[in-house]
Amino acid sequence: MHTKRGKWLLGQEKTALYFLLPSFLVLGLFVFWPIINSFILSFYNWNLFDVVHPFVGLDNYRMLMQDERFWNSVYQTGYYTLLSVPIGIVLSLLLAVLIKLPLRGMTFFKAIYFLPVISSFAVIAIIWSFLLDPDIGLLSYYLHEWGIPVKDWLRNPDWAMPAVIMVAVWKNIGFNMVIFLAGLQEIPESVYEASKLDGAGPVRRFWSVTLPMLRHTLLFVVIISVISSFQVFDQVYVMTRGGPVFKTETIVYFIYHYGFEELDMGYASSASALLFVVVLLITLLQLRIFKFNETN
Amino acid sequence: MKIKGYGKMTALALILSMIALLTAACGNGSNNKGNAGSSPDSEASAVTGEKVELTFWNGFTGPDRPAYEALVQKFNDSQPNIHIKMDITPWDTLLAKLPTSWVTGEGPDMAAFSYSLIPKYAKSNLILPLDELYKGDLKEEMFPQGLTKVLKYEGKWYAAPANFATLMLYYNKDLFKAAGLDPEKPPTTWAEWQNAIVQTTKTSGNDKQYGLVLADHATIPMWPILVWGNGGDFVAEGQSKMLDPKTVEAFKVWSDLVNNKGITPTGLTGAEADKLFQSGKAAMEMNGPWMTAGYTAAGLNYDVAPIPVGPGGPATLADSVALVAGRNTKHKAEILAFMKFWNSKESQEYLSLNSGFPPTRSDMLDNEKLKENAFVSKFAATSSSARFYLSGLENYAKINDEAIVPAIQFMTINKKNVEETLQNADKTLLGLLSGK
Repeated sequence: MHTKRGKWLLGQEKTALYFLLPSFLVLGLFVFWPIINSFILSFYNWNLFDVVHPFVGLDNYRMLMQDERFWNSVYQTGYYTLLSVPIGIVLSLLLAVLIKLPLRGMTFFKAIYFLPVISSFAVIAIIWSFLLDPDIGLLSYYLHEWGIPVKDWLRNPDWAMPAVIMVAVWKNIGFNMVIFLAGLQEIPESVYEASKLDGAGPVRRFWSVTLPMLRHTLLFVVIISVISSFQVFDQVYVMTRGGPVFKTETIVYFIYHYGFEELDMGYASSASALLFVVVLLITLLQLRIFKFNETN
Repeated sequence: MKIKGYGKMTALALILSMIALLTAACGNGSNNKGNAGSSPDSEASAVTGEKVELTFWNGFTGPDRPAYEALVQKFNDSQPNIHIKMDITPWDTLLAKLPTSWVTGEGPDMAAFSYSLIPKYAKSNLILPLDELYKGDLKEEMFPQGLTKVLKYEGKWYAAPANFATLMLYYNKDLFKAAGLDPEKPPTTWAEWQNAIVQTTKTSGNDKQYGLVLADHATIPMWPILVWGNGGDFVAEGQSKMLDPKTVEAFKVWSDLVNNKGITPTGLTGAEADKLFQSGKAAMEMNGPWMTAGYTAAGLNYDVAPIPVGPGGPATLADSVALVAGRNTKHKAEILAFMKFWNSKESQEYLSLNSGFPPTRSDMLDNEKLKENAFVSKFAATSSSARFYLSGLENYAKINDEAIVPAIQFMTINKKNVEETLQNADKTLLGLLSGK
């Protein structure tokens, strides 16, 4: 114990601590402190409109467990994640492989696919809402011209979520693609040559060389995608406002609604605390798999 | 050793100065914010004596914005000692910011928001009672009856009207003509109306057309007019009216027209409904006076008419944005002066002529200038049959968003059975009314 203490006070660590202090202060003030506070709020009946804010223990959580609207938002978020993550990953991987082909104009395409990534989600959502409008939308107009039946996309309870997912996939595909491209660069050419000599065709090479060698990149993309789809909000807020009939209301939208429309901060905090724990668990689980893969 | 120590000291000094800078910057920021209101005051008071600056937050972002800005300017010009500083942000931003700022002892002296929020804010003591406002130049009988009711909470006045609107039937004259209807004779009864709606609806082919566009969410409420027109209601004297036979019948009649005749797309927002009417894809729409300027500018051949009368008698929706005084203000007298000015005959005449809204006062119906403006006089004439939706309820938003809007969507988008849907809505509504 004593020796450890002595070590702790060693000059170098002390200096490091001083250097960490400014960023820790900023992070602490604007990130950790609000997080801790919202955890505390979740144990209070803290509606901004109420004069008193009594401590209610786990009541908010109990109410949440019985709240159909909350479970609906969990379900919708799950639906969004299960569809958007695999589709987004398969498509972006495919694009990355195609773009790596030694053909002319590939840099151009790379830029094109990356364009939506650097655009604001709100702007993209507004544009897509217009494109998808069944009556005055551009896309619907051409589909009509070609005799293809037009769906009421964003106003149809069955199609609203798929439409939101499609836009999200379209937006994020470039980001994943660039990460995959970086991963592909890492694979040494010699491995491909060896497998060619062994008589593997292009498909076999993809399954037996590319995919296994991309394992780490793939896991990284999966983790990032899952976390971001658990937090999906912008496009829902702009395109559907959680409707029709709550069919696109995700967890974060639910939190937003209770926090900033109802101003019921206690209840909203309890939902965000739950989301925090779930995202943390999933991330830990994925990191575990990641580590497991590394050691093997 | 010496050098090391020196390095350490430098690092420490550097860090400390950075922290000092950071906190200084933060401190400055908040100081500035705090002073924004008072520093021009103190400067001004040094020169002229007693100039008071009032902050006024509102969401007048629509086409009527210039009219409100001009009126505030007129007030500022007429008052040597009061200066109104308006801060205009979109309504949803405003409503997220307003309660937080008032609760923490800050916020504007004055704000404007929908009448429907008055009970909630009054109950939480975020806005001040204003009984004295109606004891001088302004009197209760100068305003439409329904309006005075929603400006009060538990018998006390909490607001002055900022504007007053009613909904009328907008109809596209060209589409009426094309369907063989007389564009100079808009429908006056439900039978004529439903006939005209079906006549102007085209469900097949490439050029789809809708007889009457009905928005169900993010909109000025349209469905209540149809329910009231049949003699039904949603909440009356604290009781749910969702299962009243007249309410059920109204929903049956109109959801049948939506589901089986395709008179409107389902799940529309107000803005989407407006777009359909403006692009000539809808023959009729129920809307407020704020749309006249836009539709006229778009070159649409249209007119407005009173909502056709249903079995329950004439009915339309009334809406109002209210002026309220924030609880942290120290300038109530100046706020009252501004509210009086805003609701004076001269100001209301100016606002009506420049915004298209009918005046907030019911004693101006024979004003010659307003009579000359066709739209203003038409809207003003419907004020006697206009009703406020869910008036006096503290959880207006919850009742609308969780009971009524989902019910309408279930019946129209999902084509669910009307009775069953209304039974569920009734259960939700009862829970909300008992304040779960």
